Amino acid sequence: MTPLFKSIRWRLQAWHGLMLLVVLMAFGVTAYYLVFDNRMRRVDQELQKRTFPIVGRLSGPQPGDRGRFRMGPPPDESRPPGERRDERPPPPPDGKADESPRSEGPRNDGPDFTRRADEPRPDGARVEVRRFEGFRPPFFENFPLSPDSPRMFEEAGYYVVVWTPEKAEMRRSTNAPAIVPLPPITPALTNGTAWTRQGFREYAQISRRGNVVLVGHDITPDLAELTRLAFGLTAAACGVLALGLAGGWWLSTRAIRPIEDISQTAVKIANGDLDQRINVTDADSELGQLARVLNNTFDRLKSAFARQVQFTADASHELRTPVSVILSQTQTTLKRERTPAEYQETIVSCQRAAQRMRQLVEALLILARQDSGDAAPRREPCELDRVVTDAVDLLRPLAVERNVSLQTDLKPTPFIGDAQLLGQVATNLISNAIYYNRPGGNVTVQLAPEADGAKLVVSDTGQGIAAEDLPHIFERFYRADKSRTAPDNHTGLGLAIVKGIVEAHAGKVTVTSEPGKGSVFTVILPASGVGTASSPVPDRCN
Amino acid sequence: MRILVIEDEPDLLGSLAKALREENYAVDTARDGEDGLFKAQSYDYDVIVLDVMLPHLDGWEVLHRLRETKKTPVLMLTARDAVRDRVRGLDTGADDYLTKPFDLDELLARIRVLIRRRADKAAPAIKIADVHIDTAARKVLLKREEVPLTAREYSLVEYLALHRGRVVSRTELYEHLFDEDDDTFSNLLDVHVSNVRKKLGQDFIATRRGHGYCIE
Repeated sequence: MTPLFKSIRWRLQAWHGLMLLVVLMAFGVTAYYLVFDNRMRRVDQELQKRTFPIVGRLSGPQPGDRGRFRMGPPPDESRPPGERRDERPPPPPDGKADESPRSEGPRNDGPDFTRRADEPRPDGARVEVRRFEGFRPPFFENFPLSPDSPRMFEEAGYYVVVWTPEKAEMRRSTNAPAIVPLPPITPALTNGTAWTRQGFREYAQISRRGNVVLVGHDITPDLAELTRLAFGLTAAACGVLALGLAGGWWLSTRAIRPIEDISQTAVKIANGDLDQRINVTDADSELGQLARVLNNTFDRLKSAFARQVQFTADASHELRTPVSVILSQTQTTLKRERTPAEYQETIVSCQRAAQRMRQLVEALLILARQDSGDAAPRREPCELDRVVTDAVDLLRPLAVERNVSLQTDLKPTPFIGDAQLLGQVATNLISNAIYYNRPGGNVTVQLAPEADGAKLVVSDTGQGIAAEDLPHIFERFYRADKSRTAPDNHTGLGLAIVKGIVEAHAGKVTVTSEPGKGSVFTVILPASGVGTASSPVPDRCN
Repeated sequence: MRILVIEDEPDLLGSLAKALREENYAVDTARDGEDGLFKAQSYDYDVIVLDVMLPHLDGWEVLHRLRETKKTPVLMLTARDAVRDRVRGLDTGADDYLTKPFDLDELLARIRVLIRRRADKAAPAIKIADVHIDTAARKVLLKREEVPLTAREYSLVEYLALHRGRVVSRTELYEHLFDEDDDTFSNLLDVHVSNVRKKLGQDFIATRRGHGYCIE
């Protein structure tokens, strides 16, 4: 496994873990919140259920109660006598009810939360300091609530604190915590609002008269339960995360394995083993497709490489022969003293070898230039018939020497292209036609303008080309007879160069041949070709 | 020693034949595979120098067909130097392989090796009584004194020495000491034998009447 793929795998795993973590956290938090909210809603409903009657009582039109539930002026001043009588069966006599319960003390009066402990009584008597702890006047005594209020409140674990509109604590139940701060008076308080404070859930509402009623409940057990839930959720999330990571690891291993195969194969190929191929197991999967594409690429790479190797081998082979001639000639000659004639003979054969090398090197240079694509053909107006005539004139002595008659039928053909390269095409084709001809044979060169370009036809009456060789004759160093019966100055590259040049002009070169009768090479050069020829690089996959 | 050179490049063939002749080998030449194979099958050459790229019949085919009848040492000479080609050459039955371009001295040395090996002689020097033959330098010493021998005389001595203890027929000597262009006067061999005896001692070469010559 290469470090690269290892790192991809680790990155996958990291992202996977991160996403899993986020999802699990979102899920956990949501679940916790929903449970919490649900629980709190239920608690709030209970609190609300208990707040409501009190607030209603404190809001309702109860003139008799007004004073009692208001902070500020002492009850006896503000309150008309006998106001509470209707609540208290049996109703005491008016006067008595007015005075005596107050003077008698809180026991009879019921809790008077409107007073501060050290506040002087309106009637002048000082009241003992009243602590709410242990003080057991029924909270709901004298309180405008239903008879089962105690059961609903203290026994059920709910406490109540009531503030006067002046924000002084008016009443509180015995089970209320020592400190219950007055909630901030906000508009929300009108409809009632709930909050959690130090393990207590409290609900407060302000009455129409301005009394703040707060009902609270110890929710420590609920919170503990919720904490347990949170721990449980966390633990479950950790478990799921671990499982997910393990699963992700397994998945990434499975997903990476084909990539590793591909990578290993690619490494082998990079090391020079071009025969290696990726084992395509699942051809339709994405990786299978990738593998097939890569295999195709490797095939093409291999054949291109093989062609290149073959070309290099051929080129070096062609160069080796003249070099061996020079080496062998000179070494033999230098072994001892020679006559001038012998020296001359040696030099002449060395010269022949050098000329052959020069031709080969020039041909190789042309091909290399074609391959590199540097030498796009020039686009100059030229008279193609002049170009071909020059080539024919150049080769006429050769035709005479080989006893081949050379006939031409060249019509004026203006063309836009590279005259030098096109001259090379004509020269190569005509010299081939002369060389591979029989003594006394004919070579005919025809050139005519076409509707769209030009057409050059070179036909000979030579030995012809066997059918199995025809598809290959434009390949570099391809020799139809597999041996060097070709003349010395033939490099085996001539037709490859022709093909390259013609294709650089967007043209086409074709050949028909009948063994024993001769061959016909036809070059079609489209006039629009040079302008549209995007690449001068010849197609080397003949 | 008689050598056949099969090579289609005329300049190379000419210089090779010239160099080999100057090394006192009898040299036959062939410019294509068919001619080469015919000659190789007709005579017992000491070494055949065979080019691979040949017209009509390539070097592989010549070698393949030659091996059906003869085990003449063959030195392949080719511009193809890929390992694949060398292995193929050796596996087809070539005894040695030399890639172009080669150094003439190396080619000559390798030919000497093939000749020695064919005669089952590993060392380049042969010692017979007082006569010391250095096949690398192509010299003969008698009692540490160099004896001047002509090329043919030397070849005669070397051939008989390499096949020491065996009676070598006159035909065989003619086949190995003279090339196809030589006039084979039968008394030419007797003159050489007589000259060698004068220079190295009468007993150096024994005559087996009716059979041939022999170095004991």
